[in-house]
Amino acid sequence: MTFAALDDVAIARAKAGDLAALERLYRAYEGMVYTLARRMCRSAEDAEDVLQETFFQVCRSIKSFRGTGGGSLTAWVKRIAASKALMRVRYAKYRETDELHEETDAGVHDGDVGLGLDLEAALARLSDTSRAVVWLHDVEGYTHEEIAELMGKSVSFSKSQLSRAHARLRRMLGEESVC
Amino acid sequence: MLRHCTIQEMLDVRDGEGSVAALRHLDECDQCRQELERAHQRVAALKALPSLRPPRNRWSAVRDLVDAERRQSRWIRSGWLSLAAAAVAVFLVGTDGVFQTGADEEDARAAELQALVDHVEELDEALGVVRTRTRAVNGLTALTIADLEDQIALVDSRIDLARQMSLSREDVTNLWRQRVALTNALVSTHVRQVSSVGF
Repeated sequence: MTFAALDDVAIARAKAGDLAALERLYRAYEGMVYTLARRMCRSAEDAEDVLQETFFQVCRSIKSFRGTGGGSLTAWVKRIAASKALMRVRYAKYRETDELHEETDAGVHDGDVGLGLDLEAALARLSDTSRAVVWLHDVEGYTHEEIAELMGKSVSFSKSQLSRAHARLRRMLGEESVC
Repeated sequence: MLRHCTIQEMLDVRDGEGSVAALRHLDECDQCRQELERAHQRVAALKALPSLRPPRNRWSAVRDLVDAERRQSRWIRSGWLSLAAAAVAVFLVGTDGVFQTGADEEDARAAELQALVDHVEELDEALGVVRTRTRAVNGLTALTIADLEDQIALVDSRIDLARQMSLSREDVTNLWRQRVALTNALVSTHVRQVSSVGF
């Protein structure tokens, strides 16, 4: 099922709490939400939890959704998913590990040089925060202002995380650089 | 600019926010232009990563949570309050001979449970009021609110389950204590937010 399969009538039924319509909404968006969560979170289990939390939130809050049409619904669902995934990045069990990553991020990762990893493996090796920022900004199209708001951080924090992410990706992918 | 562009400067250029000096340098430097092109290619490759499908169907778990929450809200309005009120009535009447050993303790537990349920009802009302006054919410507060709401929904579903499984009063009381603590935290979060925007 594609996003377009959800017309205004289906959205209205979902807003009225119709479980069949809510399930259609789940089927239409589960891939999008899971992909976003899986790219941002460290493990598949976390991504599945984000998927469940996102749709529970969607079912509870869809009455307050004010947009019309599939496009704005997509953005609304995606924003909830991003919030849930970031919440996991911030508060979940990887907290300590992530702090360690952040610490080491400040320096040069000599071990990254010449790894020649594929992109998915390189992405997985980034710190949770850097991975979340690079995915939200470069793939999902969020601005640094939006990311800063979602993360409760500054715009410069978002920019510096993106910059670090690219520097590490470049090294891990074995690209030569002049910078 | 005599030196090569930093990654940050290149990303700024890519995002249309590059400085004049960085733009001028890129015009003149093949190496930096190639680096910028590689950054574009990296992003294109990220966007081209395949979509993923969840390994397990989570809809049934979501639907169970939604069902439980709906049952819970109906139940809060009707069943449990009546039951708790009846328990308190027994406590107040203090029928001689019905509860001999441990009657005082049992009555005290019933009273505590009733107090917790009443407290939650008051907090839910306060929450309704303060929610209408919360306008601008920053990202971190929104995350906190969503997290607390999720936890409350989970506790509600557990209370519902406890009722269906006829768990002990102690277990149910513990769940209501959690509900009070979480609702308190949620109300406080909204109040702080209202105060901080000078409502």
